[in-house]
Amino acid sequence: MTDSSEVLRIHNLKKSFDKNKVLKGIDFTLFQGEKVVVLGPSGSGKSTFLRSINRLEEPTAGEIYFRDELLTDKNIVKARQKIGMVFQHFNLINNLTVLENLTLAPVTLKILTEPEAIKKAHELLRHIGLSHKEHAYPSSLSGGEKQRIAIIRAMMMNPEILLFDEPTSALDPEAIGDVLSLIHELADRSMTIIIVTHEINFAKEIATRVIFIDSGKIIEEGPPSTFFTNPSTDRVKEFLRKVL
Amino acid sequence: MTDFFTKLIELFNTPEYMDSLLRGFLLTIEISFFAILVGFALGTIIALIETAKPSKWLIIPKWLCHIYTTIIRGTPMALQLFIMFFIIFAIRDFPELITAVLAFGFNSAAYTSEIIRGGILSVDKGQKEAGLALGLKNSTIFRKIIAPQAIKNIIPALGNEIVTVIKETAIVSMVGMYDLNMAAKDIGSGHNLASYIVPMFTAALFYLATIYLITFLVRRLEKRLRKSDNQEYAI
Repeated sequence: MTDSSEVLRIHNLKKSFDKNKVLKGIDFTLFQGEKVVVLGPSGSGKSTFLRSINRLEEPTAGEIYFRDELLTDKNIVKARQKIGMVFQHFNLINNLTVLENLTLAPVTLKILTEPEAIKKAHELLRHIGLSHKEHAYPSSLSGGEKQRIAIIRAMMMNPEILLFDEPTSALDPEAIGDVLSLIHELADRSMTIIIVTHEINFAKEIATRVIFIDSGKIIEEGPPSTFFTNPSTDRVKEFLRKVL
Repeated sequence: MTDFFTKLIELFNTPEYMDSLLRGFLLTIEISFFAILVGFALGTIIALIETAKPSKWLIIPKWLCHIYTTIIRGTPMALQLFIMFFIIFAIRDFPELITAVLAFGFNSAAYTSEIIRGGILSVDKGQKEAGLALGLKNSTIFRKIIAPQAIKNIIPALGNEIVTVIKETAIVSMVGMYDLNMAAKDIGSGHNLASYIVPMFTAALFYLATIYLITFLVRRLEKRLRKSDNQEYAI
């Protein structure tokens, strides 16, 4: 029997790029409303882990269940509509305006009608204070604006989970604050989140659980209270000593 | 020098010569126009096969595309033209124009496919991933995201290919077709004008004017597309 609030269950996830084993068997379960922060050194497999969840990377082995349904090549396209993702480099569609970026998927996939999508886009844009940019192309926006729009683009789909892949790593300090406070707000509104980040202080603020990945394995996991103050492994102690 | 100008005026004032040149010019344009269309259509198909995700259904098509582009790009255009005229379409009363269009079209397809392939690959990987992450189908991603950006990237190279085809069609005179190049030679070898330089100079002007016009139009298109890239609001 599975818990009714279980959103995601990952079993023995492995991923290799040719001979390079990036993920070496990850077991992980995500529950409704959790905010999981994924920490770890560069090249540890954090991003690959995140990108395997919505199959932007094809797993080499293992199973991923989303709401008790095993994700396969066949049902992943549908599942992605409910698994939002925010990228390090924003990935707004260059040939579309801000408004078109927001409405493309919900309208094409018939989740919303065009007037509904536009109305929702207007509300979200107003909320982040970027209403005046609705007809702008991504090339004319700053990094922080792009990322906030990328976040509301994911929200347009009413996702059940939001995956953040180092959302602030490509931003300047001022923009980082804007983006983090938007993520913070989503977290407060009971969004289920997995975030890969290097912002340790932010991680402490929002995390309900922290997982530490090194060399393709989860080395330690636990609530932030114990993870940051009383880690059990030497590897995490060493990591925290260096970053804090 | 005065002789050159006198003969140039004579050429422009003799309807017979002008008719020949215009007839030749028309054929050059006809062959080029249809060959470019054939090349673009076939080139697009080849590029799509080559850039498609590998699967067992595509092993043979991908291999055929590779062989095709290798052979076409590795042999002279003039030889391909001869093969089309004297072997493949050596059928009595088969329209020469179609043979020529196919010869140049098949040749251009090999180059155009490379241009289009490059254009598709030049679109940042993140653009496709954004579409995938939103739950869009591959076909939608291609139509709404990849293709519009790829087209913008390939316009300069495509313009170049059009210019190349127009100039290359001059070799149809080798199989006896009466194109602009042939017309210049024909007029020059006649007894009345007794000058090669004047008709060839004129033919050169025709080619140059055509290519200049195309280059100008391509540049304008390029500029317009780039503008919408950097401007804050859509035009």
